[in-house]
Amino acid sequence: MRNVRIFYEKKGRMKFVSHLDMNRFMSRLIAKSKIPVWFTEGFNQHAYMNFAVPLSLGYVGLYEVMDVKITDDSYSLEKLVDDLNAVSTPDIHFVKASESVMHTKEIAFAEFKLSFDNIDAKMVNDFFTQQSIITKKKTKKGGIKDIDIAPLIKKAELCGNELTLILTAGNENNLNPSLVMTAFYDFYGVDPDFYDVTRVMIYNKDLEQFV
Amino acid sequence: MNNKEFERLLLTVQKPGRYSGGELGSVIKDKNKVDVRFAFCFPDTYEIGMSHLGMKILYSQFNAREDIWCERVFAPWLDFEEVMRENNIPLFALESRDPIKDFDFIGFTLQYEMSYTNVLNMLDLAGVPLRSADRKDLSPLVVAGGPCVCNAEPLADFVDIFFLGEGEEVDLEVIDLYKKHKALGSTKAEFLREAAQIEGVYVPSLYDVTYNEDGTINAVTPKENAPAVIKKRIIKDLNNCHYPENFVVPFIQIVHDRAVQEIFRGCIRGCRFCQAGFIYRPVREKSAEVINRQAKCLCENTGYDEISISSLSSSDYTELEPLLNEMLDWTQQNHISLALPSLRIDNFSEELLEKINHVRKSGLTFAPEAGTQRLRDVINKNVTEQEILSTCKIAFEGGHTAVKLYFMMGLPTETDEDLKGIADLGQKIVDMYYGMPNRPKGKSVSVSMSVAVFVPKPFTPFQFEPQISKEEMERKQAYLKSCITTRKIDLSMHDSSTSFLEGAFARGDRRLGNVLEAAFKKGCKFDSWNECFDLQKWNEAFSDCGIDPDFYSQRLRAYDEINPWDHLDYAVSKGFLVREHQTALNEKTTPNCREKCSACGANCYGEGVCFEKR
Ligand code: SF4
Repeated sequence: MRNVRIFYEKKGRMKFVSHLDMNRFMSRLIAKSKIPVWFTEGFNQHAYMNFAVPLSLGYVGLYEVMDVKITDDSYSLEKLVDDLNAVSTPDIHFVKASESVMHTKEIAFAEFKLSFDNIDAKMVNDFFTQQSIITKKKTKKGGIKDIDIAPLIKKAELCGNELTLILTAGNENNLNPSLVMTAFYDFYGVDPDFYDVTRVMIYNKDLEQFV
Repeated sequence: MNNKEFERLLLTVQKPGRYSGGELGSVIKDKNKVDVRFAFCFPDTYEIGMSHLGMKILYSQFNAREDIWCERVFAPWLDFEEVMRENNIPLFALESRDPIKDFDFIGFTLQYEMSYTNVLNMLDLAGVPLRSADRKDLSPLVVAGGPCVCNAEPLADFVDIFFLGEGEEVDLEVIDLYKKHKALGSTKAEFLREAAQIEGVYVPSLYDVTYNEDGTINAVTPKENAPAVIKKRIIKDLNNCHYPENFVVPFIQIVHDRAVQEIFRGCIRGCRFCQAGFIYRPVREKSAEVINRQAKCLCENTGYDEISISSLSSSDYTELEPLLNEMLDWTQQNHISLALPSLRIDNFSEELLEKINHVRKSGLTFAPEAGTQRLRDVINKNVTEQEILSTCKIAFEGGHTAVKLYFMMGLPTETDEDLKGIADLGQKIVDMYYGMPNRPKGKSVSVSMSVAVFVPKPFTPFQFEPQISKEEMERKQAYLKSCITTRKIDLSMHDSSTSFLEGAFARGDRRLGNVLEAAFKKGCKFDSWNECFDLQKWNEAFSDCGIDPDFYSQRLRAYDEINPWDHLDYAVSKGFLVREHQTALNEKTTPNCREKCSACGANCYGEGVCFEKR
């Protein structure tokens, strides 16, 4: 049995599929593709799948990761990718599969790109170079608390009307780009107006690609 | 509206997956390469509509034809409707996102009366005139099928064509005729006149209805050569009838999120309250071999890990044991669970029970419908107390601790004794559980009983009967509540105001069209949803139109009265319904179709159970 990491893109109409619904979608895709995955034992048997950092509803993801266990050692990873693509929609495109190297716990950063109009480099610079950026965040218990997101922003760079953000990601301290942008627009006192959020990459703490 | 703008708006509503489209199994075609575009509309939410088998069958069948592109449309939930109206987004089909007002057909499936306001609301959202007479062009044609068509008179002013019975053949015949007329450049009137000649096609505008002074119908008169009586269509050979090889598999969770395999149509039982038991006659089965083949194919193509068999009464399938044996084998091998809704297991072999017990446990449910044997005889529900108790026993021994029972209140001839019988039956189940030495250890039993208000429906022997009044219902509900003395029984009796509205529309006539439109204009929609139903508005709509709903629902109808549906022929004759009504009042049961034919009239198709060897 091998631990296999599958990389795929989530885009187009699939943007509207929530993380929870992705689970069901993938297990059906796996069933259709007949790839030899390991099933959990017990009463409610299902294909074992594990997703690294969930992607928010509405975002495109170009470096999405799903781990499975392959029971047939002779089954090639190229075939696995082809078999999945053969039954998938073009909006979920499988790019590659490889033996997993890092542990999903090692994920520390994610890189996003997003677009907007009516923003200039100075505005971006003024906002992101602040020592601290206090904003309100919903807590898990449903309350609201003030947090400082400045330490969680690794990089913010504007190129044309596209902003690149590298933000802390992972189980603790996951920073969502929409929270950053809400703080940004609050700062300038205008209504949030950004679109096409794409997560392009995930990294470990040394900013190495997650593999 | 461009795609980007549209998608941004989608992200502002709950469950954008209801409107995004793009599901696996959805069919995309090049609109320039098809002749006919069909918007298949389900007048309720995505989650409900997507669970409906009839829609899946026709979607697949229409799309199997190269010249037709059939797309899905559901009623947008309140939040998205608001967004649509604010941004002038006309109702669109999920596949192409094109406005349905430009389609050739806008087809509704009418599954329950309480969806009628959604039909109007969807037409309005589409930007299409509500009334048939105000839509002058050949297209879009507004058509409708489904069980409610057996009396869709309340929608007669809005719909151009009703399809009676099973749609697989007649729908395509009408589409072909439409293609011909479209090419000829015919008018809508010319097309409708010819369409009315196709068996199973009812064009309501070709019939004049006149009324007596007492409000009953005097005559229904066909015009322009339309047939005096319209006969429903059935598929004679289900083995060779189209069945989907794939479903559209939704992203978001829907009500029945699984593969569904139909095993037969119709029902041999003839429970007298059940419209489906009459309007789908005669029983026609698929062979076990065809069922297994279709079911396997469906699981492979959808990737579903659950499949259920579907029919009105699966226990009556003639080859049930061999069918289940084989299905259980391949489903278990492939990690697929087999759902067997409302199957009677009291006469199964040990071996089969053992196998079924391996399958994931689903709830144990029964529908005795009435509390005493006397009343069950009146309604011809052939379930005995003994059967219920022995099935519960088997299930409790297998580890179940919860059962759910469904009943009706307000059945013809019902007395307080019958209501008390409901409570008594629940008590007997509780007592039996605690009397079992081998009951599941340390667990208590839960018996939930749900009691709905009976609504008399057309084409049933109770079509002549009045529905109970609201006052009487309230008295009965209070009495039943007082009969229940244990906490192990959970009694639920929903707010039943909708039942009375349903009762009026089920047996209503064309004059209700005005009421429907008035209610829609006041904002009524999603009437089957508690959070939307507004009795006040409905009451106003009735009084604005000067119509008393009780006239339709709470009146004993004479056998010789002309009912609004009497010009429709659903194969069961009125004479048979009268006989059955009499037999009911005499508290006598009628044997099922396999025991003895009761000459209902459904043998006219020359097929089905009527011709089995007894
Ligand atoms: S004709 Fe006889 S056997 Fe056929 S459906 Fe009617 S009652 Fe049943």
